[in-house]
Amino acid sequence: MNIIQTQNLTKIYRRFEKEPGLMGSVKSLFKRKYSEKVAVNSFDLTVEAGELVGLIGPNGAGKTTLVKMLTGIIAPTSGGVSVLGHYPNKLENKFKMQYAVVMGQKSQLFFELTPSDTFRLFKELYAIPDDVYKRNVDYFVSLFDVSEFLNVQVRTLSLGERMKMELIAALLHNPGVLFLDEPTIGLDAAAQRQMREFLREVNEKNGTTIILTSHYMEDVKKLCSRSVVINGGKKIYDGGTEELFKKYEQFEGEDIGLVVERIYAAKDGGGE
Amino acid sequence: MTRSLRFIWLLIKMKIVRTMAFRFSFFGVFFADGMLFLIQLLTFAVIYGQVDSIGGWSRGQMLIFIGTFSMINGLNMIIYFFGVVEIPWKIRDGRLDTYLTKPGNALLRLTFESVNLGSIPLLFLSGAIIAWGVSIEGIVITVPLMLGYTGMVLLMTLLWYDMEVILRTIPFFVISATSIDWLEGDMLMLNFKIPGVIYKGFFRILFYFALPYGIMATVPTQLLSGAMTKSGLIHSLAVVLVFTVFTFWFWKFGLKHYKSASS
Repeated sequence: MNIIQTQNLTKIYRRFEKEPGLMGSVKSLFKRKYSEKVAVNSFDLTVEAGELVGLIGPNGAGKTTLVKMLTGIIAPTSGGVSVLGHYPNKLENKFKMQYAVVMGQKSQLFFELTPSDTFRLFKELYAIPDDVYKRNVDYFVSLFDVSEFLNVQVRTLSLGERMKMELIAALLHNPGVLFLDEPTIGLDAAAQRQMREFLREVNEKNGTTIILTSHYMEDVKKLCSRSVVINGGKKIYDGGTEELFKKYEQFEGEDIGLVVERIYAAKDGGGE
Repeated sequence: MTRSLRFIWLLIKMKIVRTMAFRFSFFGVFFADGMLFLIQLLTFAVIYGQVDSIGGWSRGQMLIFIGTFSMINGLNMIIYFFGVVEIPWKIRDGRLDTYLTKPGNALLRLTFESVNLGSIPLLFLSGAIIAWGVSIEGIVITVPLMLGYTGMVLLMTLLWYDMEVILRTIPFFVISATSIDWLEGDMLMLNFKIPGVIYKGFFRILFYFALPYGIMATVPTQLLSGAMTKSGLIHSLAVVLVFTVFTFWFWKFGLKHYKSASS
């Protein structure tokens, strides 16, 4: 069953352009110049329930914009999008109760509160029954082994500890879909590994559909059976992760830009 | 509805817990707000101490007006000011993303997540000024009059909220809206000092219809002192209704234009 479906999904941003210097600023007061940036271009995507899909691409490729449209944060310029049977930008509560999003560079936790207090707030937000809440907190806390950090202020946690709490907070209400935007950014190798193991368990045991964007090829390679490569807002690869890496095995390094270049080269030579 | 109320209550409790985590700012706000009020009162004493009537209003009415404005300002500071004032920054730096992806109304959460108990003494001080004005005027307080006045103060607090939200929704559409903060500050300072009954012509249209700061403390004062007309009451209720409906529509319209921020 498809739970995510997009057709010709497009997002165009209008950007204000200013000539350099003081004169440029004065001119811009009277005459504004705008340019258009196509962040996501006619994007088609279908994701089935229970899949773990890696969304990869270099900086500015359009990954985050795509995730923001799928979660309803921003409205598409054109095209169709349906997630769990909803149009995301309607921002319906019924829809928001069914998914979760974790952004590596934006926290959903309250920095002056403890993780435990934030979890209680989320319990109210998502109307999580007492038994489900207790079971999930116990399960995820033991899975990540973070019980000792539950009652300390979030601001005193390390990045790795905070990201674990972010993931726990996101999963308390048993979301059907979990969007992860660069969840391992800035983490050390051990924390990245722990995060991957956690996500694999959540996907396999709970059947949670996971859409993961990452710069780190290791994340996608170790976790996702399917990869979608995006560049310049366009989908340039959609298929098995193993095949993707077999095809372009000489670029096994961390640089996603090189993989993208390789795909382009293969396309130009008719190899794709 | 019950869930929303429970959530609001939890937000308030969490905010108190958060504020108490920083002892200095918790007690500091009590001190700062109290001082601000005393300074304001001193200013009024200097300006109005020498006259008995302004725009046909007696000294007692002026005191009720000052106390009422201060009361509405106090409610604003306690309930929503610190939450609403952050909205433009959250729009600009993309922090609004987190609010939009969580169940419940994002505006409701933004409104109630930064309650500030430090302004509670301001309510007592304002109440004392109003009581002083009432005694000078010789107004006999009855239960219906008290309820009417309280209701009108709450409606005007809602109108103040509407104005704050409308101005802070503009950053959905423009790059910078700093000048709006200045404009709001100037409008408030002006209307904090001058009762709306003084405005004539263009200024009356401006402060009674377009930017209705002129009615916020004027109307409850008129109601309490028996100077309220039927048309004035209808106008006030209509303004609150129109601005409240517009506020929620404008906020929803703004959300459709939200661009977030690159991460």
